[in-house]
Amino acid sequence: MSKVPALELIDIHKTFGNVEVLKGISLKAYDGDVISILGSSGSGKSTFLRCINMLENPTKGEIIFNGESLNLVPSGSDLVSGNMKQLTKMRQQIGFVFQSFNLWPHMTILQNVMEGPAHVLKRPKHEVMAYAEHLLDKVGIADKKHMYPNQLSGGQQQRVAIARTLAMDPQVILFDEPTSALDPELVGEVLGVMRNLADEGRTMLIVTHEMNFAREVSSDVVFLHQGVVEEQGAPSKVFGSPESERCKAFLSSVF
Amino acid sequence: MDFSVVVEYFPRLLEGTWVSIQLVLLSIVLGGLFALPIALARISPVLWIRSLPFAYIFFFRGTPLLVQIFLVYYGASQFDVVRESVLWPILREPFWCAIIAFTLNTSAYTAEIFRGAIQAIPPGEVEACKVVGMSKTQMYRRVLLPRAFGIVLPAYGNEIILMLKGSALASTITILDLTGMARTIIARTYTPIEIFLAAGAIYLLISMVIIAIFRQVEKHQNRYLGSVSIKVPDKG
Repeated sequence: MSKVPALELIDIHKTFGNVEVLKGISLKAYDGDVISILGSSGSGKSTFLRCINMLENPTKGEIIFNGESLNLVPSGSDLVSGNMKQLTKMRQQIGFVFQSFNLWPHMTILQNVMEGPAHVLKRPKHEVMAYAEHLLDKVGIADKKHMYPNQLSGGQQQRVAIARTLAMDPQVILFDEPTSALDPELVGEVLGVMRNLADEGRTMLIVTHEMNFAREVSSDVVFLHQGVVEEQGAPSKVFGSPESERCKAFLSSVF
Repeated sequence: MDFSVVVEYFPRLLEGTWVSIQLVLLSIVLGGLFALPIALARISPVLWIRSLPFAYIFFFRGTPLLVQIFLVYYGASQFDVVRESVLWPILREPFWCAIIAFTLNTSAYTAEIFRGAIQAIPPGEVEACKVVGMSKTQMYRRVLLPRAFGIVLPAYGNEIILMLKGSALASTITILDLTGMARTIIARTYTPIEIFLAAGAIYLLISMVIIAIFRQVEKHQNRYLGSVSIKVPDKG
């Protein structure tokens, strides 16, 4: 484990209009960490995750990736990237898996997975294709590679989306409620893939409602409530003996 | 009614048809080329870049095509600069005046259709581009434009048919397109019903061909959508 965190967020604030959704959240993720971010809806956990790679512009705060601070400049009430090249480069190394998959519907499964490495990283086509096929095999969809996203079930689409993210060889992967849009019987297959990734030692930040999964897989758990970190620590501590009243109430309501 | 005039003058009607097809094809191709940059400028976050195409579209959608044709045909020659310019040999030809007016008009409409299509792409697909670190150019080339092309097809086919019917106005500036030719024939034969019926039938036939072509292209382009129907952004 290196001393420099792979990802460090310092005092992230986000305001929508008059509503302060994030009230100063800081977080460090070292290589190999699997950090689950829990909280009831409206606690700001998705917004926080989306601020990390600037899908949402934070109002205040600092984002440091591999020791390099992201250049942020004020624009209106928010901070925006002051260096698009730097942000683009960072995004290429931080994977993001959406709740609603967001596959490109006009490309086949294989094309979806190949798009990033082939056209953004400009790696040789044949290598990319072999790697994409390997990844699809890994998430168990190799036989559907020539189909289009709309022909797949939600669980299959999400596994493709994970393969698409892996194809970029990201250093950190962010998961934004990856199973929330799925039918209950399809949740398991996606969690299975994510569990394998955690076992491989990948660095992951996961916003999720799957408590059992978070408990078993995470190295760290963060509980957010109304835009602040209420409780943070090893899963055994957060799930076993939470100190915060709100965290206790939340856990007793979901278990 | 005596339809033998139709048979007799059919070759002339076909000549006119060919002129109409040239008018529509040329203005659609040129209009389409102009429409794309206009549409992209129209959705720019920068106010002054956005307002220019807004004014352009506002004018060409808000005034009659006939007025636009007259403005180009009768208006341009009022200026000495135009008459003395190297473009005068082109600008004095009614055919090219019609092409200019049609191109400007259809590019305004087509730009609006393109804009609607680009904005109809689900934001999640755009975010997926951002998170793999695509540049703006890559995003447009790889995802936004191919997606917009699929969405745009039904509305665009409609625009071409509107253009075909609008092309009849070319006859008002002495062009012998299908309508112009029909009127010339009628002036000689006094058989308006027969000849106009024939001209109408030819327009109908061309429309059917356009519809059939677009149905095929749409089928191919949107094969990935399966049975899901796509929302057509309306003009405007």
